Amino acid sequence: MNMYATVTPALVEELVKILGSHNVLYDKDRMEAYSHDETSIEHYAHMPEVVVTPLNTEQVALIMKLASRERIPVTPRGAGSGLSGGAIPVFGGIVLSLEKMNKVLEIDEKNLTVTAEAGVITNELNEQVKAHGLVFAGYPMSLETCFLGGNIAENAGGGKAVKYGVTGRYVLALEVVTPHGDVVRLGGKVTKDVSGYDLKQLYIGSEGTLGIITKAIIKLIGLPVVKADLLVSFKTAQEAIDVVPVIMTKGIIPTSMEFMDRLSIEMSCVYLNETLPIEGVGAMLLIELDGTDEGQVERDMIAIGDICNEHGAMEVYIAEDRNTQERIWAVRRNIAEALKVYSPVQSLEDIVVPMGSIADVLPELSRLSEKYDITIPCYGHAGDGNLHATLVKNPESNIEHWNIIEPEILRELYAFIVRELGGKISGEHGIGLKRKRYLKELIPAEEYELYRIVKEALDPQMIMNPGKILG
Amino acid sequence: MHDVWTLAECHGTTLKDVSYELLAWGRTLADSLRCKLCSVVIGDIPDDEIRLLFTYGADCVYVVTHEQLGWSGHEVYVNILTGLSEEHKPEIFLGAATTSGRSIFPALAVRLRTGLTADCTELSIEEKSGNLLQTRPAIGGNIMATIKTPEHRPQMATVRAKSIRHLPADSSRKGEIVRVPWNPAWQDERVTVLGTRKEHSDQGSIMEAEIVVAGGKGLKKKENFRLIEDLAHALGGQVGATRDAVDRGWKGYPHQVGLSGKTISPRLYMGIGISGAVQHMAGIKTAECIVAINADERANLLRVADFALVGDLFEIVPELLRRLNLALDLALDFVLEDGST
Amino acid sequence: MYIVVPIKQVPETGNVKMDPETGTMIRSGSEAIINPLDLYALETALRIKEQIGGRVTALTMGPPAASKVLKEAIAMGCNDAVHLSDRAFGGADTCATSYTLACAIRKLEHVDLIVTGEHATDGDTGQVGPALAAWLGMAMVTYAAKLLEVEETHITVERLVEEGYQKVRARLPAVLTVVKEIVVPRLPTLAGKKRTLHAEIPVWDAKTLDADPSLLGLKGSPTRVVRIETPKITRNTTIVKVSEEFPASDAVDQLLRFLKDKNLLGHLPGHLPGHLPGQERGRHA
Repeated sequence: MNMYATVTPALVEELVKILGSHNVLYDKDRMEAYSHDETSIEHYAHMPEVVVTPLNTEQVALIMKLASRERIPVTPRGAGSGLSGGAIPVFGGIVLSLEKMNKVLEIDEKNLTVTAEAGVITNELNEQVKAHGLVFAGYPMSLETCFLGGNIAENAGGGKAVKYGVTGRYVLALEVVTPHGDVVRLGGKVTKDVSGYDLKQLYIGSEGTLGIITKAIIKLIGLPVVKADLLVSFKTAQEAIDVVPVIMTKGIIPTSMEFMDRLSIEMSCVYLNETLPIEGVGAMLLIELDGTDEGQVERDMIAIGDICNEHGAMEVYIAEDRNTQERIWAVRRNIAEALKVYSPVQSLEDIVVPMGSIADVLPELSRLSEKYDITIPCYGHAGDGNLHATLVKNPESNIEHWNIIEPEILRELYAFIVRELGGKISGEHGIGLKRKRYLKELIPAEEYELYRIVKEALDPQMIMNPGKILG
Repeated sequence: MHDVWTLAECHGTTLKDVSYELLAWGRTLADSLRCKLCSVVIGDIPDDEIRLLFTYGADCVYVVTHEQLGWSGHEVYVNILTGLSEEHKPEIFLGAATTSGRSIFPALAVRLRTGLTADCTELSIEEKSGNLLQTRPAIGGNIMATIKTPEHRPQMATVRAKSIRHLPADSSRKGEIVRVPWNPAWQDERVTVLGTRKEHSDQGSIMEAEIVVAGGKGLKKKENFRLIEDLAHALGGQVGATRDAVDRGWKGYPHQVGLSGKTISPRLYMGIGISGAVQHMAGIKTAECIVAINADERANLLRVADFALVGDLFEIVPELLRRLNLALDLALDFVLEDGST
Repeated sequence: MYIVVPIKQVPETGNVKMDPETGTMIRSGSEAIINPLDLYALETALRIKEQIGGRVTALTMGPPAASKVLKEAIAMGCNDAVHLSDRAFGGADTCATSYTLACAIRKLEHVDLIVTGEHATDGDTGQVGPALAAWLGMAMVTYAAKLLEVEETHITVERLVEEGYQKVRARLPAVLTVVKEIVVPRLPTLAGKKRTLHAEIPVWDAKTLDADPSLLGLKGSPTRVVRIETPKITRNTTIVKVSEEFPASDAVDQLLRFLKDKNLLGHLPGHLPGHLPGQERGRHA
């Protein structure tokens, strides 16, 4: 029932004509890397029929025209660091990787903006603007590998969203290639804009299903020069999470407020050979503050530390120099990798709830963990109400059993998050391939219908990253 | 003109290789200053071995022995060298940048109220002044600083192992052995050596090695570091590691290369699964030849490498090992053939 | 036991530049932190204190801003700190630095043990520890990797040396320099941080130290930097990529040929077997 045409040698030849042979890959070995993203479970992987690496927007437009003419599915791809299967070519066809469109085009100090191609690595962009004392503050945790275009397409969040918000907040303008191969430029270097529909916003977080983001103008802010971290240990996970809303309503907005339960910390410490004092510790909060005034940051740090102490903290550690900060952040950053080493089969979740409900998430996780007899380590951006609860397959249990219980647990968890707490099933990783069936089940039919109408209007042939979000 | 001195480094009853390397530096310096090159041996070294110092360039060797030396801390060595230097007033005094050289020389320099440059990789004589120019990598290997000690004598430096080859052996060279009588005032019993626990044979010093094969995060886990060890062994080199690998407990701290570990200058440095953090790169910039193996084309290390191999290390290293081991087997076969015919 | 830990403020990254005119480091632009290796010295000192009782003083020589690292040392658990700061101390090499620190340690009186890090990540000389021992006439134990026994009068440790680990026992007072292996540094705590808010850190200048001015700073430094060069790292890189058309075995072939041309396979026989068929191997066997 495949509604799409297949990639023929003649089509490959046409692609070579547009791009040159260096930018068209069709040997299996090299295409393998484009068949998956960071979503752990292998059965999500799917081979593309051909991979193209265009060098500019014009080439992207020509590829889309060709694909549209032939009705070939096109899956846009950034760094492949996504966590919801968004870059996987489920219908084969063309994978369009933006890896070679990786230039920072302009740093505009008068308007505090940077213009860059979609394939620039986030960290690279920030290194360049850092030289001007500026920063793109909406970057996610994977900044060392992820591309700007992917961040925008997923509207990525990250550790600093508590204070600085997510990627979308910093996108001033986009250049997008539509599924028909038209090039549109949306937005501009302005802070206000009500001139027509806000289509730019529609593309942010659209997961490559409506068009291909090729360029963006990003708003920059002054680089905060002072940073301080607190690492606070609590006897129980509940005590730790209970403090989060207390801090969030005290008027000091931390840059990050990360939660790590004992299991996450333990696994990460083993993985890193780190020895944090965790005897009797049930969970930790990692709270970061930044600013331009050293005294202010110090006062905020002490104020937050005091709140933690008043609410049952076992110990409040602080890190004021980069070295120590790097040491404790390494524990947080390596949790996902450490859990993968423990058991590669897992489901990394991304639930998000209103701040006031964050304390209610943990009991539900415990209940599910008990009911289904699996471990659910939990960590994440507590300050945003965004937790990466991770369903981990017991390394001893068999995969068939896992395949049965995983969707059951997810259904129960999501239903609780959405219906009981007014939360959402993904805060920053996206729906992609992984969560589309749950999205359909959980959102009102009228809303889902609107999604469908938008998709059909912009991509009537359904060639733009098909099989994601909807369907 | 006063002489150029080197401190020979003893290990039990033999002299370490670096003792001869110091002579190679000392010889050029003594020749440009037209003075004698003397070596100081503190320890129980047989005469045949001492005469090797002449073979490799020394004109004169001061020998100090005492039965307690093997159990003494550095204080005794500092006392002896202070005494000898005050008596003979060398113009230049070179030691090895080893754990003992880097302990004894700073204390000796203070006792003699002179300057000391650590870890030099190059030495020469400034033309007009006759001053010693001491060049060392600073801030890791990011910069090379040339330092002199214009107004204090002796001019002292510790020199990195393998920064020079020893001179070709010339067994016709003769020299004078001066046996220095023991002075009881040198005795110092505050520090006692109680014994040495040898490490596994592959744990030689990366600072002295001609070849260092280093591994990083790309090895993924501790067990895989075996590949690095095997390759180092096959190449006749030592094992290095990045800070990441050391912090994760994949390899001990003595193997750490970089700013907070060791700065090394081997003839061949091979970095495998190493992306090339600035701090690590600083530690290897003075390597003569750099080979990098990494799957990520963008890895920093590839940019400074002489030979960059882009590919999966888990595919490349086993293949490399297979071929090297085959070659080693063949070498062994040659030996057997020679022996039997 | 009274323990003093001399620490140093160093620039944070490896990207430090040096002024080619003066040979001094350009420190602006990069954050100053405690020399990472000094954290191990602080931790060692604190553990000894916790084990047998006593007091730990952190000491640093540097510009006014360097008091920050002393505060961090107090936050980790040091009892107090002393800051040596005077224009006269500027431009010191390891000889003048160790002299200045030694003067301060003399003034602190009855010091049993001095613990230092292996070396500073900026200067990388590792000379200050042994030099301190010489100025103060103390015994020295360098490259300590394991604390075996601490007594009021003696300390027994394992030193990391080229051959392995050497066990030594030293009579106090002594200077102990430690390597990273010895302990894992603790994290500073908020309670410790709060102590630093009220901590008075005395600043001692040359006069307070009663030091010989001719041995201080640039004037007291026997060594002079005459030239700074940036080593060329532009190498002629040969890049070989493994792909379907160019398998790993071919790439390895090229690598071996490269190593052989550079004379780096000295211990191996003249030729290296490629994809050797069985019979060729048999000829030598």
